[in-house]
Amino acid sequence: MALITDGTVALVEEPTDTRTLAAPDGRGRRRSGPRRIRRPRILTVLTWVVLSALALVMLVPMYIMIINAFKPQQEIIRNPLGFSLDTLTFDYLWAAITSERFNVVAAYGITLLFVVLVNVFGILLSAPAAYVIARGRSKWHLGLLLLFVSGMFIPGQVTLIPVVFVLRVLGLINTIPGFLLFETAATLPITIFLFAAYLRTVPRDIDEAAALDGAGRMRAFWLCIFPIMRPVVATIMVLNSISVWNDFVSPQIILGPSSGLYTVTTGVYSAVSQYSTSYTTVFPTLLLAISPAVIFFIIMQRHIIGGLVAGATKG
Amino acid sequence: MVTLDRPAAPARHISPAMRWRARVPGFLMSAPAVLVFVAMFIIPMILAFVLSLTNWNGYSLNFTFIGFDNYAHAFRNPRTIDAAIFTAVVAFFGTIACNVLGLAVAALISGPGRANTVFRTIFFYPYIISALIIGFLWAAMLSPQGAVNSVLGAIGLDPLPFLTDIGFAKASVIATIVWSHFGFNMILYIAGIKSVPTEYYEAATVDGASPWQQFRNVTVPLIAPVLTVNLVLTLVGLLKVYDVVLALTDGGPAAGTQTIVFQILKDSFANAKLGLGAAQSVVLLIITAVLGLGVTLARRGAEKKVAD
Repeated sequence: MALITDGTVALVEEPTDTRTLAAPDGRGRRRSGPRRIRRPRILTVLTWVVLSALALVMLVPMYIMIINAFKPQQEIIRNPLGFSLDTLTFDYLWAAITSERFNVVAAYGITLLFVVLVNVFGILLSAPAAYVIARGRSKWHLGLLLLFVSGMFIPGQVTLIPVVFVLRVLGLINTIPGFLLFETAATLPITIFLFAAYLRTVPRDIDEAAALDGAGRMRAFWLCIFPIMRPVVATIMVLNSISVWNDFVSPQIILGPSSGLYTVTTGVYSAVSQYSTSYTTVFPTLLLAISPAVIFFIIMQRHIIGGLVAGATKG
Repeated sequence: MVTLDRPAAPARHISPAMRWRARVPGFLMSAPAVLVFVAMFIIPMILAFVLSLTNWNGYSLNFTFIGFDNYAHAFRNPRTIDAAIFTAVVAFFGTIACNVLGLAVAALISGPGRANTVFRTIFFYPYIISALIIGFLWAAMLSPQGAVNSVLGAIGLDPLPFLTDIGFAKASVIATIVWSHFGFNMILYIAGIKSVPTEYYEAATVDGASPWQQFRNVTVPLIAPVLTVNLVLTLVGLLKVYDVVLALTDGGPAAGTQTIVFQILKDSFANAKLGLGAAQSVVLLIITAVLGLGVTLARRGAEKKVAD
């Protein structure tokens, strides 16, 4: 988080006065205020134009999706960017909410349940293991860390087929426990890696204090060490929540249509893929599907961006 | 599996039995994670290879070993070859486009200020939306009657076959991926740029370096490790691209935009040939590992220079 939000010092754009004085003045640079001295004005304008155009490209699809969720089919085709207040209607959104092909409320509930359970199981499994790894000094501990980290480089799609085999042998294919087992396992590498890296920075004095109090190692960990891990736990919860919420292939294959359980992504797939030209189905369904993620993003923006940076650059 | 916590009590004064007992808590604490990981990662890794030598159909547990037939079949199947080529094209151009755009934008908006924060949010937000939904959204906009063609018509241009012509469809897939992914690269680059000590820029300014020269000679070399992370993550991610293709083109037209993972999942689950799917998975895993390691090693040189 710190990397993004309170990065050490300002960069190119905040030259100090000394720099201004030191800058050679031969190249048409004027002293036009404390900021942006070293960039000619035309370049600044050009930069703004380019960035704004790009921002437009990023935002227009979202605008189209939102506005067209409330319009009838002919209106969408004739005039996708505009709208007239007369034809705006909640009918299609309501139809999508009550659709028999995609029960949005159930999908939200199930996906949220999966997100919560995978987070809980992933942290319950990873935290003690990461603690053992972080405190250990032998080659076994290093080996254990490398074992888990290697999982970060194995694409989930590659192991999916044999995982189906394993789950079939265990009798867990097309069941919630089977799906949770796979999704939880998928979170272990990054979780253990970030936890262990964080725990290395926690002083051992705390372990010793807990040990002197007579707490067992397990108890000491959960009571004294785990509460200190709050920042990294928050990072991990953000990362894992996004990946579970957005996962499509694993619920599609492991849960499968035969389970009758649909997450937001598999539900959208079954609702939209056959009807992709019926815009009055597509746009309201997509709007419903992304709303929670976008709201979550707006609220948690700093944590999400900080967490992704931590996950990627440390990994 | 545990070393003693208190250095004050050196382990060598303790009998082997006691040392084993001291290891028990550590073992118990790590065992559940190890067990789950082995069941869902290690055993499947080995099984992937074993199953690739069989004709398993995914349903029964009866199957026979058929040697390397699946591999031979995969390498001879023009569909698989086409899928591999398209995946390579997506990975190559996607990685370059995401990183060039991500780095360029990062360099422009890495500074403080509200406007920069707003831009960052706008460029990044598609990354948190599921690729499947991004695909459906763009499919709706790029279809013959979609918003993009409607706008083209409004300004007097002919509609373009974004999803119905093979060449256009391939470009549409790459463009959609870049649209939704470059913001992530940008965020990592901004983090990298912010970690460059200000003194370097001050020194460069004193030497009269232009903004472009500063970018070229200070920023780029000093964020070499971030560049490597970005390249590897994007490349490895794009080699397994699937969701967005499924939603955007469903592999079409004429199977022209099928990727390797698309092919793997289709063979495995639609065609019930999981052995064949497993063989292609093993090949993909090897290619991913080789390319990922290859790029990392190739970038070592560039990163070394920073240290000097």
